[in-house]
Amino acid sequence: MQNMRGMSTLPVLLTAVAVVALFLFPNFVESTYALHIMILIFISVIMGLGWNILGGYTGQYSVGHAAYFGVGAYTTIVLMQYRHIAPWYGVWAGIVVAVAVALIIGSICFRLRGPYFVLASIAVAEIFRVTALNLKKLTNGAEGILITDIPPFKIGDIVITDFMSKVPFYYIGLVTLLIAIIVTWLLQNSKLGYYFQAIREDQDAAHSLGINLTVYKNVALAFSVVFTSLAGSIYGLYVGFIDPSTVLALDLSVQIVMICIIGGIGTIFGPVIGAVVLVPFSEALRSNMIAQALIDSGLVNESSGFGSFLKEQLSHAHVLIYGILLVVVILFMPDGILGFIRKKLLAKRQKEAI
Amino acid sequence: MAVFLQSMISGILIGGVYALIGIGLTIIFGVMRVINFAHGDLLMIGMYMTYFLFSLLHIDPFVSIVVTIPMMFLFGAFLQKVFINRVLGALPQNQILLTIGMGLVMSNAVMLAFTSDYKILSTTYSSASFNILGISISSPLLISFAITIAITLALYWFLYRTDTGQAIRATAQDRDAAQLMGINVKRMSIIAFGLGASLAGTAGALISPTYYIFPQVGSVFTLKAFVITVLGGMGSIVGATLGGVIIGVAESVGGVYLGSGWKDVIVFILFLLVLLFKPSGLLGTSKD
Amino acid sequence: MKRAVALILAVMCFAPAVAMAETVKIGFINSITGPEAPIGENLSNGVTLALEDLKAMGIDVDMIKEDDTGKPEKSMAALEKLATRDKVVGIVGPYTSATSNADAKMAERYKVPLLVPVASKEEITRQNLKWTFRTSGTTGDYATVLLEMATKLGNPKTLAILNENTDFGVSAAASAKAIAEKKGIKVVFEEAYSKGSPDYRSTLAQAKAANPDLVFMVSYVADAILMMRQSREIGLSPMAFLGAGAGFSVSQFAGEKEISHGIFSSTQWTEDVPWGNSKAWYLRYEKKFGKSPTYHAACAYESMMIMGQAAAKVGGDREKLRQELLTGKWNGILGEVSFQDFDGYQNQRKAQMLVEQVQNGKHETVWPAELSAKKPIWPFPGWKK
Repeated sequence: MQNMRGMSTLPVLLTAVAVVALFLFPNFVESTYALHIMILIFISVIMGLGWNILGGYTGQYSVGHAAYFGVGAYTTIVLMQYRHIAPWYGVWAGIVVAVAVALIIGSICFRLRGPYFVLASIAVAEIFRVTALNLKKLTNGAEGILITDIPPFKIGDIVITDFMSKVPFYYIGLVTLLIAIIVTWLLQNSKLGYYFQAIREDQDAAHSLGINLTVYKNVALAFSVVFTSLAGSIYGLYVGFIDPSTVLALDLSVQIVMICIIGGIGTIFGPVIGAVVLVPFSEALRSNMIAQALIDSGLVNESSGFGSFLKEQLSHAHVLIYGILLVVVILFMPDGILGFIRKKLLAKRQKEAI
Repeated sequence: MAVFLQSMISGILIGGVYALIGIGLTIIFGVMRVINFAHGDLLMIGMYMTYFLFSLLHIDPFVSIVVTIPMMFLFGAFLQKVFINRVLGALPQNQILLTIGMGLVMSNAVMLAFTSDYKILSTTYSSASFNILGISISSPLLISFAITIAITLALYWFLYRTDTGQAIRATAQDRDAAQLMGINVKRMSIIAFGLGASLAGTAGALISPTYYIFPQVGSVFTLKAFVITVLGGMGSIVGATLGGVIIGVAESVGGVYLGSGWKDVIVFILFLLVLLFKPSGLLGTSKD
Repeated sequence: MKRAVALILAVMCFAPAVAMAETVKIGFINSITGPEAPIGENLSNGVTLALEDLKAMGIDVDMIKEDDTGKPEKSMAALEKLATRDKVVGIVGPYTSATSNADAKMAERYKVPLLVPVASKEEITRQNLKWTFRTSGTTGDYATVLLEMATKLGNPKTLAILNENTDFGVSAAASAKAIAEKKGIKVVFEEAYSKGSPDYRSTLAQAKAANPDLVFMVSYVADAILMMRQSREIGLSPMAFLGAGAGFSVSQFAGEKEISHGIFSSTQWTEDVPWGNSKAWYLRYEKKFGKSPTYHAACAYESMMIMGQAAAKVGGDREKLRQELLTGKWNGILGEVSFQDFDGYQNQRKAQMLVEQVQNGKHETVWPAELSAKKPIWPFPGWKK
């Protein structure tokens, strides 16, 4: 399945149907829990798509993207809580700050290659985290910032939403997600995108062809950071509480990378698949749905040792399963789920051709 | 002045343990060019092993390293053979992700098995110290420092005086050339990882009397281990030793003058500076 | 006339019994896993005993428990679930100050009564919230009782404050500072440390250099133990170590005999108090769970008892429950409990604080004298070599 301009109609049609369905979703589904899961998925996809531009297309694996997520979240929320600047301006401020920071970091770190770049990105994110912990006047340190109220969004005198329900966040997430997908698609097929991929394939060859490595890596980083910081701002506003250990943590950076790796890096829908797999799975584990399902289906006896172990413990095992998934994917599916499916389809087609 | 000296001495003592962690990581990187993100978790496993040997069998933590060293070596060798070997040719980024995944599996499996309660190992001498000229020196830390030196010397002997040791160094210097000379580089990788793991596990055993033990303790040490190895020069054992002490002192003294909150930042800024201006580290033998 | 009175009395005796034989749905949020779990366990156990006692009174509690792992955002999500999906009439919990503060705001939004058993950050009941009630004393209470005791037993002039940088730690440090100022005690050293760091030596060395008469410490369990170990190592030996409850009140801490002897800890309950049947309750807890209870268990127990009785009285209406909590009075192992507005606090219990001291590996109640079993050891006896 090549994503070239002359795309076949079926995927386009399916995508359109899916988009319409997503827009109508809240009208048909009342459950706030379902909306909650969708919002988390949207935020995860946005984070993934953001990382993907730098990591998947340009080949620069940053394991410190939480830095930009956190900067976006903190900027928007600090401005809202302490300066009473409405979040629809605040998210732009968040993006500006995050990009500015990213360009400084990029110009320093991009001369490092491969694993050294990874290490540097981690160090940078940790510096941000510890700084946020210490600059208490700005960030309230380890106590974090609790949002009291989001101002209602008005056009003229009409209140569009007061952010009391989950529905506005659903739509904000969905629209941002679609913008991210469109931007990624445009990038992928543009000259800029080709430069990025050239850098990924062979930096030195790209350089010798006249591609200014530093400039283009930074451009990729800028695009990447815009979406990562947006995801952070939306997350902060939705959850209502941020602190350095949630929005600037190494765990978060690893999660962002995992979304792409598991789904399939360097593709548009890879992060989508990754998020769709990881988020509900982790939530199902955490809320004990999986353990309950295993018991209800009769596969596991509730009163047996194994059954009670599952019931008590499986909900805390979701990070363990992340880890196992990561190991399995790297060992057996380094191109992610999407890549795996593609290979199988290709193999099938090849067999048929014979 | 007393405070400064006090923090210097504490820093050097802790630095010894850091050095052990760094040496393990540098051997792994030197021989396989793999950046092992699960290194801190190997330390954590060493800590838990020590804890259980102590609480169930009443074996003193310093004595139990005779058990920890071989067991961790076998564990490391196992990990290398089953998992890491498969990605030796893959993108370095994938290798890092694999080790990150392995680290996650280790720390979370331990958490499931033993809960995330902080465990404290209390020996009779855990809070013992003695006083020299107004400076108090922690007894358990001093003992770990001494053992670290002994292990480092033993390691030197192994690497410079034995055939296997020489083979490992050869593989680290130039993997292809070593293979051409008839060295089984796959086996060297296994030994190297086993060695690295046992050093990390031992470091865990050595600090367990003065620290707390919990499943996530690894991540703090992994990051520090990287700073140490890069500072000292990836692949250099002397470098790692030096790096460990430097970081220990920088942290300790920095903590006094900048407040305990900022001392981690010092370590990371040092790290970035080294990466940017002298990526081969103080004594680096790295080819890149 | 006498017969009428007798009849009315008889009916009144039966009526409550009839009204109380119903099921009430109460939510319970706690740090069941995560780094706060060791103390969180006390809350779970206390609540378990409460459910037993409520059942004996004819009140059936359908309790839905949620684990917030000590993280505010998880706690908020848990409260939202309990309030909207499970539709509980009231909630007891959570444990830490950070999670309680976040939940208090959520409770206000969802209009569900929240009874905070143990979190002591002052601000929680100083925000003019209508739906949050607090059984626990505040960090102001902790600091007051410790410094009052210190000034009665000796003549301290200087104070060093070592607190972890969480909501609880910061609130306690601020309270200590304010009270010290009122008593004319100078703060000569203050440091907020990141919890979970293994090495406090530089901080302690600096504290020692400032030569404080009193050292006020705010930590959860693991840090408490490590700090005292390193204090011994460094040779920090003031007139007294004052621990603000939490990690210092746990038996695991006391068990570290070499480093815990002589350390004071503020508390809201010990087995020596003359309230309710505290001694019997203490023994019952020990027998059932194999460990001794901390004040956290007592506060959680009493909070659930209050919530259960109040909810049974009013049925399933949250506003009625809120009114009942505002006006009601209960009597149990915490003595007489009611929630009042005073000194800028709303819906707050006036807690009678105590101080315990670890003597030879065990916590003993030492202050105030009329509620104590033993005399305090003053000043700090120094470190045994």
